[in-house]
Amino acid sequence: MKLLSSFKKELILASRGFYFYVELVFALVLLAVLLFAIPQNFSSTSTEYLFFNLPQEGKGIFINNILKDDLDTKSEMVEVEASGKTFNAELIVTDESEIYIVDSEEAVRTLADSEKVIGAVIELDDNNQLHYKYYLQGYESTRLKNLISILQNESTDVLEERFENQDVRPLSTDYEPLTDRENTIPPLIAFSGSLMGMFIMASYIFLDKKEGVIEAYAVTASSVWRYLMSKIFVVLLTSVVSGLIIIMPVMGFRINYGLLLLLLLTTGFFASSLGLLIASFYDNLVKAFGVIYLLVFLLMVPSIAYFIPGWDPVWIKIIPSYPLLQGFKEIILPNGNIAYPLITSAGFLAVGIILFTITNTRFKKTLSV
Amino acid sequence: MIKVEGLYHSYLKNDNFAVRDVNFEVAEGEIFGFLGPSGAGKSTTQGILTGLLQLQKGNVSVAGYDIKNISRKMFNKIGMSFEQSNVYSKMTAKENLSFYSKLFDVETRDPIELIELVGLKGKENIRTGEFSKGMKHRLTFARSMINNPSMWFLDEPTTGLDPAITATIKDIIKEQNNKGVTVFLTTHNMFIADELCNRVGFIVDGVIKLIDSPKKLKLQYGEKLVEVEYAQNGNIKKESFSTIMQEDRDLLNQIIADKEILTMHTKEATLEEIFIKVTGRGLA
Repeated sequence: MKLLSSFKKELILASRGFYFYVELVFALVLLAVLLFAIPQNFSSTSTEYLFFNLPQEGKGIFINNILKDDLDTKSEMVEVEASGKTFNAELIVTDESEIYIVDSEEAVRTLADSEKVIGAVIELDDNNQLHYKYYLQGYESTRLKNLISILQNESTDVLEERFENQDVRPLSTDYEPLTDRENTIPPLIAFSGSLMGMFIMASYIFLDKKEGVIEAYAVTASSVWRYLMSKIFVVLLTSVVSGLIIIMPVMGFRINYGLLLLLLLTTGFFASSLGLLIASFYDNLVKAFGVIYLLVFLLMVPSIAYFIPGWDPVWIKIIPSYPLLQGFKEIILPNGNIAYPLITSAGFLAVGIILFTITNTRFKKTLSV
Repeated sequence: MIKVEGLYHSYLKNDNFAVRDVNFEVAEGEIFGFLGPSGAGKSTTQGILTGLLQLQKGNVSVAGYDIKNISRKMFNKIGMSFEQSNVYSKMTAKENLSFYSKLFDVETRDPIELIELVGLKGKENIRTGEFSKGMKHRLTFARSMINNPSMWFLDEPTTGLDPAITATIKDIIKEQNNKGVTVFLTTHNMFIADELCNRVGFIVDGVIKLIDSPKKLKLQYGEKLVEVEYAQNGNIKKESFSTIMQEDRDLLNQIIADKEILTMHTKEATLEEIFIKVTGRGLA
């Protein structure tokens, strides 16, 4: 009853406060970004400017070859403007590129310079051999430069034959990758749904410290743990709501919401308890800012490993946000590992309980008069 | 109702004690005034008695409960009015009191009745963030009565209040005391203490200097004070001297012998003057 009363009171305070709405609005903004700014799959279409300084016959062979990959097997005559000049170009659009075939080397150089893309001039040298001249931007990787070098030293026919004869077999056949938009969800939900709870909780406590109401609560027949737990409940509620705001419109009913709620609640509990512990050491948000900032920075590091799977050092796995991100990913993966979020939830719950116990003791000991 | 023996407390947990060897008792139904200047150890002592500060050394019992192993049940019997108003500014006066009424295991008072009692009738549905400092202070005072406490801690209950409201608050304290409520009043307002308290304790630098009833203190010190007005180097000086303290008697004799006396008469000392006399310190 006392816990319920405290929870109701916290709900009233939260609904009349600032942070409650910040979290929900933040979730709506992230949803808008997910739906309208992040495409289902990122396009890797590149733009290239080519000039074939070749006899008409040779030029025709190249263009016909490229046209095979054009979406409608037809090119289009367009005008391209750059640096105040207009150039005529033949546009060929393939799955991977927009290729503009221009009619002068000057056009290639100007367009490569102004559009910051690769341009190439293909011509015949003195020995009537094909000569390739590339206009690069200077920041291309060594890999790309090496690749370009190799391409010119090997017959195109040989390369094509080798590519076609390569036998590529996936070892895991039950793995369905996420779309780029879906893949973006775990970091967003982890930081706005779960870890934001740490900051919000600390803010709630500092507001109460400012008003001195913790002391008033401490001289009632209700225990301090109820006071702290009622705040955690409010943070968990907002975590779940903001998490669902982000995930439901994108994933629909394709995921296990029981697992999602479990992970949201346990990680929210962990983050809130951490926020409480931090707040027990400081009088106000300004004094605690340094520690909160460092923690947020530390917790963001695993998101680098999330987006760059090749960088996955062992030490990063002990940072709590690492299993948090992987846990959310397993939940939204079509064939995700159910055991992972379950084990992760158990771990966060256990650590959360330990943090909460320490915090409760600290609050009982550090109530000032 | 309160028993304190050999109480020590150090915030730094070393030999730098905020209170040292404090001993006193408060009987059931008594109004006990705990008086001293800022930083004397009043709030520290009260913090320990109310469980807000951990007991480090000494024996303390409040309302029959040992503070060493504090029980939440103890707070069903205790009311605490803080010097600094501490109510939820985003909640109305009524919501504040209604919430606190649910945190006790005993029958509680009607929030509206308490709000009206402290002169806030008509303000019950206004968020306390819009209250003046004095209004918040009155609500904090009203909240301390929500659980019908038998042991009532009041920390500067009339600070910042106008004379009319102060009179109302004093009447409420007297009325509660008449119903048998024990009051532990922490203040540096000697007039309030003089009017309300059965006994007062003077604390300075963490040490209790004296405990007695205001009446006895006045009998002991008041009747034996002489106020002397005399001329010195063209200026008029005014000083009070005890007629029982040898040091004061010697000074008075010297002034009578050496100076031109303008006026001289006995007077009843105020509690504040007695405090200064006993402790050698003012109450600012």
